[in-house]
Amino acid sequence: MARELMTRRMNGRNDWHPGREIARLQDEINRLFDLDTAESAPGIFDRNVAPAVDVRETNDEYIVDVDLPGVSRDQVDISVADNVLTIKGEKTVKDATDKHHVYRCEIWSGSFQRTLSLPKAINADEVKARMADGVLSITLPKREEVKARSISVNVQ
Amino acid sequence: MATATHEKTGRRTVRPASMIRQDKDAVILQVEMPGVAKDHIDIQVEDDTLTIHGSTVPGNGDEYLVRERRDADFYQTYTLDETIDRERIDAHMEDGVLMVQLQLKEAVKPRKIAIAD
Repeated sequence: MARELMTRRMNGRNDWHPGREIARLQDEINRLFDLDTAESAPGIFDRNVAPAVDVRETNDEYIVDVDLPGVSRDQVDISVADNVLTIKGEKTVKDATDKHHVYRCEIWSGSFQRTLSLPKAINADEVKARMADGVLSITLPKREEVKARSISVNVQ
Repeated sequence: MATATHEKTGRRTVRPASMIRQDKDAVILQVEMPGVAKDHIDIQVEDDTLTIHGSTVPGNGDEYLVRERRDADFYQTYTLDETIDRERIDAHMEDGVLMVQLQLKEAVKPRKIAIAD
């Protein structure tokens, strides 16, 4: 009798399924990972945003690509010392006025900085940078003496 | 993790970071799509859905020492409510940021009524 009552009561509460709740939570978390966002400030004392970078290496040069949407070329400052590359600047949100009612804002603004140590010395005089479609692309040629050389060896 | 892929291209897609604002005339949608050229953006309005798809250049066979940027396209859909004028949607692209201006219908805009003499 008691058991029967209990099952009946349990059946009445069919609105709540733990499985469904977990699936919903999983969806929410997946949505979070789906969002393309810049890395946030990596340290407590580091107040700068570190934008995402790619570093590629070819035989003669390193190519660094930095995601900087909404940043114009005069807002970026690039410096090279030995094999250390520093990219910094300021990002402002376009047409930001307080006349607007903001519904959602996932866009970051403020100062950003990124410092990269490249594996080998580079030729600082030959560094080239260009900005296109919100991506900063820097080409850093390796110094002559560190370029990989192929030496043919005659086998006797 | 269920990563989204685009139904036509089969390429992985991510949701771009966006900002949605409204002033008295329009809703302004700002979408960050670094690496997407102007010609590679597809914006479509179908019934109540606004779809934005931006294709990026897939990574080639280079050797990556650091790889943090996502090798994916951008894809997002928005639902438009009845206050948006479907015929007056403008978009432009600057520095990898897409700006979409969705004008409100005249009927929903605030009107000042002058008192006749």
